[in-house]
Amino acid sequence: MNTGQLISGLAHVGLISVAIFGGAFRAEPLPFQVTEVTAISAEDYAALVAPPEPDALATIATPEAPDAGSADVPTPTQDAAPSSGQPALSDIAPPEEVTEPLIDPQPPQPPEDVAVLVPEAAPDPAPDSVPEPAPRVAPEPVAQPEPDVEIDDVDRQASEADATAETPAPDEPETAREAAASRIVTEAERAEAAAPSQSIRPKPRPAAQPEAEPEPQETQTAEASETSSETGSVDAALTEALGGATEPAAGQDSRAAQGPPLTAGEKDGLRVAVQECWNVGALSSDALSTTVVVAVSMQEDGRPVTNSIEMIDATGGTVASARQAFEAARRAIIRCGARGFDLPVEKYASWRDIEMTFNPERMRIK
Amino acid sequence: MTNVILSLLTVLMIFSAPVLAAQEQGERDGPLRIEITEGVIEPLPYAVPDLVAETELAVEHASNIARVIAADLSGTGLFREIPREAHISRVTSFASPVQFADWRAVNAQALITGGVSVDDSGNLVVRFRLFDVFAGQEMGQGLQLVGTTTSWRRIAHKMADQVYSRLTGEAPYFDSRVVFVSETGPKDARQKRIGVMDYDGAGVSYLTDASSIVLAPRFSPGGDRVLYTSYASGFPKIYVLDVASAARQELQTQAGTMSFAPRFAPDGRTIVYSLATGGNTDLYSLEIATGQSRRLTSAPSIETAPSFSPDGSQIVFESDRSGSPQLYIMPATGGEAQRISFGQGRYGTPVWSPRGDLIAFTKQSKGRFHIGVMRTNGQEERLLTASFLDEGPTWAPNGRVIMFTRETQGETGEASLYSVDITGRNLKKVPTQTGASDPSWSPLLN
Repeated sequence: MNTGQLISGLAHVGLISVAIFGGAFRAEPLPFQVTEVTAISAEDYAALVAPPEPDALATIATPEAPDAGSADVPTPTQDAAPSSGQPALSDIAPPEEVTEPLIDPQPPQPPEDVAVLVPEAAPDPAPDSVPEPAPRVAPEPVAQPEPDVEIDDVDRQASEADATAETPAPDEPETAREAAASRIVTEAERAEAAAPSQSIRPKPRPAAQPEAEPEPQETQTAEASETSSETGSVDAALTEALGGATEPAAGQDSRAAQGPPLTAGEKDGLRVAVQECWNVGALSSDALSTTVVVAVSMQEDGRPVTNSIEMIDATGGTVASARQAFEAARRAIIRCGARGFDLPVEKYASWRDIEMTFNPERMRIK
Repeated sequence: MTNVILSLLTVLMIFSAPVLAAQEQGERDGPLRIEITEGVIEPLPYAVPDLVAETELAVEHASNIARVIAADLSGTGLFREIPREAHISRVTSFASPVQFADWRAVNAQALITGGVSVDDSGNLVVRFRLFDVFAGQEMGQGLQLVGTTTSWRRIAHKMADQVYSRLTGEAPYFDSRVVFVSETGPKDARQKRIGVMDYDGAGVSYLTDASSIVLAPRFSPGGDRVLYTSYASGFPKIYVLDVASAARQELQTQAGTMSFAPRFAPDGRTIVYSLATGGNTDLYSLEIATGQSRRLTSAPSIETAPSFSPDGSQIVFESDRSGSPQLYIMPATGGEAQRISFGQGRYGTPVWSPRGDLIAFTKQSKGRFHIGVMRTNGQEERLLTASFLDEGPTWAPNGRVIMFTRETQGETGEASLYSVDITGRNLKKVPTQTGASDPSWSPLLN
């Protein structure tokens, strides 16, 4: 054997070793953010940045010059506590039903024989004439418009009647959550609006391609049948398999390994659903330095078992701050899980028990 | 040699199979694990129905106490009250079980219930409980407070303090007072008095008259005395005033000098202040009981606005020794000072947080004034406000909220008190009957 073969052989052995065992030493992937962008054509970009037509400019009244002094003066209404500005729950009227107006099949015809006054060309304004600035605020206070949707904890589309359904679903109005922030902007950080005032509408996303999922139920049943054949009792195996699907507490360790795992998208959906209710606004700075791991058992309809929620680990804070952080996490799970998380029931075995790590590092005061 | 390599490959395959299987099994076995790193920042909704009046004399207090609690909690910006009109359940007895489903239906995440009565000796007896609505359980134990009927506001503040601490984990601050300079009259003939009020602007009383100009009142660590500067003698001199009796005493400093910007040490027995003599201003310390004075700085620049660290070991102050006003820290006994502010602009009026972790300051930059905070080493500077004139920050007892003076521009400009959370949120005006400036927050009352 020559030296070349020896080196080649050792290199192959090393390469195979890295390929097999490399995963054991793999570091956690660095966090990254994905930003969705939309490609626009050169014509669209030119239309976006092009200055408005001169005619349009002529119709815009010159705004009143801001008073340098008054710009610094805060008004008490701007600094009022958020509670005063929140719509009262009792004041939120349900969205009114909008009846579609009947479309006239005939387009409206212009009235005939109607004299149209054509204004003469406007004389040139005098050099010293200054157009009167348009008022920037309405002279009369305007009542706050009614919300388009009912305020609730979760976003929900209005239910529609399904004629084919066996049991009609109750009418549920469209709801949306109150505006919340994930970033704190101080008075000193507020800047003049520098963002472009117009942009083209981004193109819609392409329709999601449905993933080809295996038939989990059949797989579970088949595996259960194989197990039961070894014991020689098909009925007992069927009973066990069926019972396992409806009794979450029994034999979960053995069955948990049988269900197909959740896809990354399904995990992300659960994560997003929980974080929408994870309100850290009232937490102390110590609690915002505490990461807690919370265990929760789930029912098959996607709702958490409230009594099963427990803190199994806490790092980075005191006992008191861990309790505050856990209570906020528990509220998030219960509130957003009240109507059931959107999880695939055929994969129930894989999400029957969940451990959620609530890490507030990005939510701390910076 | 080929056989050796093939043998090695075989061995690797044999050992790798269980490893790969274990990795896959580890992902499938056990609970599903997810990590939540993004949340929302919004006020926590709560409900506080009127307390249950258990005696006839307590009827008027039942609603008043609930309103003060709601004002305290909602005023932090961390909580949002569910209006009473939206309540489904009515609390008719302090001991009756809570209908959690009704409170969940109105999205109340915390519920405060209570009862109030007047006992045979005329004292007001208030009991309350706090519930986590979605968990369906009580948070902590119920509490009972007893006081005179005239102190119902303090009882309400103490109840709100308990709720605030249990929900946020922060130390309380509602049951505290603020001493300030009350300002009346036009700008060119302004009359100034020292006033003291509850932190929310209620219960104002005045400690001095308007016969002379007064400046910079500062509470003692115990909240029973106030230091301030007065021009009663023609020169600025430092006085100490007893809050209960309004009796005042001039602190003896060097004759023919100007002394100002006093502040108590955490032990309450020593003060630190600025003394101007011969055109130079330096920092001095003074023992109140003995009148013994000690010079802390000796630089040909202006050193002023000293403030002790909570443990009393260090002093942060303002100095223009580098050419422009900046912030410095030195030992409380004097010695070498270390500059901590390096941003663009002029820094002044530093105040050490009661927690010891932050220093609040006034910053003037690009024609605007800011209230900001920074770490004690000068890092992580954050500006919380911006206006024509903001100055003179003071810390709430829990180190979470800052109160300061904001003055408006122009001939009719007036000074007012504002407060802001250290996150920069919840900037709001403190209601006062007159113009107000130069606030100093007391410690939490006993």
